[in-house]
Amino acid sequence: MLQDANPLDATRLVRGERVHRAAYVDPHVFALEEERIFRRVWLYVAHESEVPAAGDYVLTRLGPEEVILARQENGTLSLLHNRCAHRGARIVAEPRGNLRQLRCPYHAWTYRLDGSLLGVPLAESYASVAELPGLARVPRVASYRGFVFGSHAASGPGLAEFLGGLASAFDNLVDRAPAGTVSRFGGALRLEYRGNWKMFMENAVDLVHPGSVHKSSVEAARAHPETLTADAITQQGAQMFLANGMKAAQWNEVELHTLAGGHVYMGGFYRQGVIAPERHDPVFERYRQVLIARHGAQKAAAVLAVDRFNNLVWPTLSINARFGAMRIVRPLAVDRTVVEVQCFRLDGAPQEMHELTLQFVNLAASPASLVASDDLEIFERCQRGLASRGEEWIDMRRGVLAGERRGDAAAVAPGTSELPVRHQYAAWQRWMSA
Amino acid sequence: MSEEVERFLLQEARLLDERRFSAWLELFADDGVYWLPTRPDQTSPHEALSLIYEPRALLAVRVARLERPDMHVQSPPSRTVHHVSAIEVDGDGADITARSALIVSEWRAGESRWFAARVLHRLRRTPPGLRIALKRVDLADSEAPHRAIAVPF
Repeated sequence: MLQDANPLDATRLVRGERVHRAAYVDPHVFALEEERIFRRVWLYVAHESEVPAAGDYVLTRLGPEEVILARQENGTLSLLHNRCAHRGARIVAEPRGNLRQLRCPYHAWTYRLDGSLLGVPLAESYASVAELPGLARVPRVASYRGFVFGSHAASGPGLAEFLGGLASAFDNLVDRAPAGTVSRFGGALRLEYRGNWKMFMENAVDLVHPGSVHKSSVEAARAHPETLTADAITQQGAQMFLANGMKAAQWNEVELHTLAGGHVYMGGFYRQGVIAPERHDPVFERYRQVLIARHGAQKAAAVLAVDRFNNLVWPTLSINARFGAMRIVRPLAVDRTVVEVQCFRLDGAPQEMHELTLQFVNLAASPASLVASDDLEIFERCQRGLASRGEEWIDMRRGVLAGERRGDAAAVAPGTSELPVRHQYAAWQRWMSA
Repeated sequence: MSEEVERFLLQEARLLDERRFSAWLELFADDGVYWLPTRPDQTSPHEALSLIYEPRALLAVRVARLERPDMHVQSPPSRTVHHVSAIEVDGDGADITARSALIVSEWRAGESRWFAARVLHRLRRTPPGLRIALKRVDLADSEAPHRAIAVPF
């Protein structure tokens, strides 16, 4: 698609405040992203609470490849490719469970939970069983406050260095738990769209789209003001729908923070009259008291005052600490993406808090959500529109400032700026260039 | 009673296919709930995520949106066929349970897709007629990745 681009020079796809449409539609670009980004960076795989006991495992993905995260007898985690060393069969098919060993269903090769070979049938027919391989291991696996990441690259920046300033999003989520830990709960919602993975990450910090894309849910909620005095689930949903109806001046009070590494978060998001900065109902007051018992009044207040909405870990993760939600973007092809939405329980908090978390996520992030469904529609329209060769370049210059700092520098911009997109592309360019 | 409930379910399906969403909403009791769980064995909306869990007040917002021209994911609108079968009715006259099988075909923007579900209706007899206290739709592929879902099942 990109002429004379062999080998493909991805750095040519970003020029100032424009990006070439090939970044979204060219399968060669996607193949290069897989090699240079997804096989090198740290990607989220699962939470430690999903594998609490020895022998527990979950099937998950590291980029496009399926991997097994298992808790070994000695308590450490192993991350293995789900592919028998013999003929390549997928070994584990159930999404989670507890196993003492991994056994291939084809010829019954067995492996320990660290991937090493335990036994093969007809061992005497091999010159040396000791020379047979075990399961391929993912070279690096590391945890940050219970959140487990893996990297296909044997070397590179460590997890803490990679997360950089955005580690604070995980800190805030865990600090909100009165018991000091969070646990995955509630299963998952999975959304699919026929569009490029980057669209989701760009849209998650674009505060001009709600006025147009989400107008129908804003107006529908305005037509039903009785929802604001109904049950807690309905109130919370109506507030979330109405928040998308803010005017540009109000959105500009939101601060877009860019951090080294391509990460972005939105601060100053919650305000009276939209989504209240803090709740003051009896359930929340009970929660506040147990949180104060853990942290003391001063730290508890500071933890609750963190008013960020989406925290985006470049390239493919979004965390909302206040609502205990995480979205994992899984690129499947240049024009096909799945987003998995997961929830976390604040251990030690009242049960009703977790019920509201589930209902918030249902309403905000389900494929049937009044909000998310229009985002999915727009991603698919972008993908279809970008098939056009009438114009090769995409514009991202909204709110550009002279001498703007991007990529490996931290900066702040008003809510309606496209700085986050430019910032994400600066990181993209750096990883794609070599 | 069985025949009356059957007629009710078929009429409900036709309202959705004819995009008479406000009339569909009227079939719900004031405390009625529309629920699409993510897990087949889910017993409560508070134990796991749901594709939709909406008390009638929120369902009214969903319906109001379906009638707006600026709902992008329904521009152009879907054409659906809700095929209801295998209806089984239980109950004592006032509180009725109906179980059915549902196939929905949806055509929109040049593409067709299909859904299959088991459906549970808890119905209540009221002066104006039967009303839905709970409609639970268990999609066969409830845990799978789904593209945008806009027309109710």
